[in-house]
Amino acid sequence: MVFAGLVVTLLGFVLSVSSLGLTDSVNARMGMVIAGIVISLVGIIGIINTAFLKNAIWKK
Amino acid sequence: MKKLTLILTLIAALAASGLAQTPAPTAEPPAAPAAAPAPAVTPITAEDIKGVSTPSAEDKAKGDADGALTGTAADIAVADSKAGLTITDVLNQVGKNRMGINFVWTLICGFMVMFMQFGFAIVETGLCRAKNANHTMMMNFMVYGVGMLAYWVIGFPLQMGGVGAVANLGGTAPLSSEYTINLFGQAFGIFGQNGAFLSTNGAYDVGVMVMFLFQMVFMDTTLTIVTGSAAERWKFSAFLICSLLMGAFTYPIFANWAWGGGWLATLGAKFGLGHGYVDFAGSGVVHSIGGLSALAMAIIIGPRIGKFNRNGSPNAMPGHDITMVLGGCFVLAFGWFGFNPGSTLAGTDLRIATVAVNTMLAGMAGGFSAMFYMWIRYGKPDASMSGNGLLAGLVAITAPCGFVNPISAVIIGLIGGLIVCLVVEFMERKMKVDDPVGAIAVHGGNGLWGVIATGLFADGSYGGGWNGVAGNVKGLFYGDPGQLVAQLMGVSVLVGFVFTFSFVQYLIIDKVVGQRVDAKSELDGLDIPEMGALGYPEFELKTY
Repeated sequence: MVFAGLVVTLLGFVLSVSSLGLTDSVNARMGMVIAGIVISLVGIIGIINTAFLKNAIWKK
Repeated sequence: MKKLTLILTLIAALAASGLAQTPAPTAEPPAAPAAAPAPAVTPITAEDIKGVSTPSAEDKAKGDADGALTGTAADIAVADSKAGLTITDVLNQVGKNRMGINFVWTLICGFMVMFMQFGFAIVETGLCRAKNANHTMMMNFMVYGVGMLAYWVIGFPLQMGGVGAVANLGGTAPLSSEYTINLFGQAFGIFGQNGAFLSTNGAYDVGVMVMFLFQMVFMDTTLTIVTGSAAERWKFSAFLICSLLMGAFTYPIFANWAWGGGWLATLGAKFGLGHGYVDFAGSGVVHSIGGLSALAMAIIIGPRIGKFNRNGSPNAMPGHDITMVLGGCFVLAFGWFGFNPGSTLAGTDLRIATVAVNTMLAGMAGGFSAMFYMWIRYGKPDASMSGNGLLAGLVAITAPCGFVNPISAVIIGLIGGLIVCLVVEFMERKMKVDDPVGAIAVHGGNGLWGVIATGLFADGSYGGGWNGVAGNVKGLFYGDPGQLVAQLMGVSVLVGFVFTFSFVQYLIIDKVVGQRVDAKSELDGLDIPEMGALGYPEFELKTY
């Protein structure tokens, strides 16, 4: 799960950078970059952190 | 809740009035009136120089009580005493004076930023429990040296080795080798290659030395942020390794992309996105890197024993000395006058006045909004969160401080103070992440907000030629959506790349060395198990 979270987080970054080559439109780039940020946040908050919480010290 | 809504409404009204005072310029500025004929320029000649009178030796021997006789043509260094004062001497002196002002300015600001290490040290130590005082203080103390050496050997060349000549410092031309890759038909600067040990390829240079000192203390600020989120449970040996890697790689790589001539800075020149990624003094470069690395560390190392109950509800674990906390905040607020105005790298850049005023306004605006948020929500004006609010405002204004007007600075600071409170609550209640000093909220949350705020509030009054793009820097509210895209790109790189890079490093170190101390050491306090001596040997300490 942690590895998947890292891949998703990095994927958001890749999507944002790829907007530079895929379009010249400022609005389209903004949309892709915001989508990239959201994907990275899902990776961090939704996947990586959730994976670590499964074995959290306060649950033991 | 109604009170909160009222406050937010007031902030919005203030924002609207601020923007109304400086309306967004239209696409084309009004035509300038016909230029008046330029006055005739009379060049200085050698005869003019010879005719300059200087104070006599007799006059100077009487003493110069009002300073009128000191600092005249007699004080200009003459290259050839037989030839006397020449135009070349005068012009050289002018250049030397400009560089002298910039060098002294940048160095003194750098010394002030170095002193911020003390502020961070006592803020963090005050927010921790007394049984961990020695350990927390030692982390903040040694991070300075560990980071510095890593940066001297590896970090500085990676960050600034390809920045090229910085005009304000005159002599950084030896830093001229940037490694690039080709992507989308453009060269992407990835890392610098000159300047290792401050000795190779001409880096034994006075301008390079100034640049190194100023950038080094910024880098160390980043490193000390992580010690806050991992405090009270971080193994000292693991801390040393993590700090070494951060000073050598994590910070310098992103800093190169933003400040060292790397690809983020060139988004404007190569892809038409405003002036490229703009970060005046490091909301993104310094604080977001630190805050996101702190988040990565806090997730891996886990919460302190007793922070969360079995049902996941958080417990308050108050620090042991609120006077240290607020005193440290004042030290940091003072140091920020070096951090932000110093980032001009030039005392001759008179924008420093605006930068300094924006810094002080935003800082205290953040302190106010955090205090009132806590007061309204919890019934008391919480001291530690008020201090964190001050720091939040300062962090948030760090990127935009050079490009915005004072009204925008206050708005940015007010929002920063709210962000720190909301992110702290989100971390504790939703993510179950334990951050003893609020480092993630202060530096991560507000660092990202500062980067975005630049893309919104930059008013087009400063930044001509920034990152090689003509014209001043304008945000979305002043007519340039491309600048906001460049800023958001920086946010995406920070969240997507920097977090991942830090996380992988910390995870490997966790598997090899172990990040966390054992439970008994944590409960006893880390001073004896990790450091061998108590911070307060004459106190009776609680071990909960």
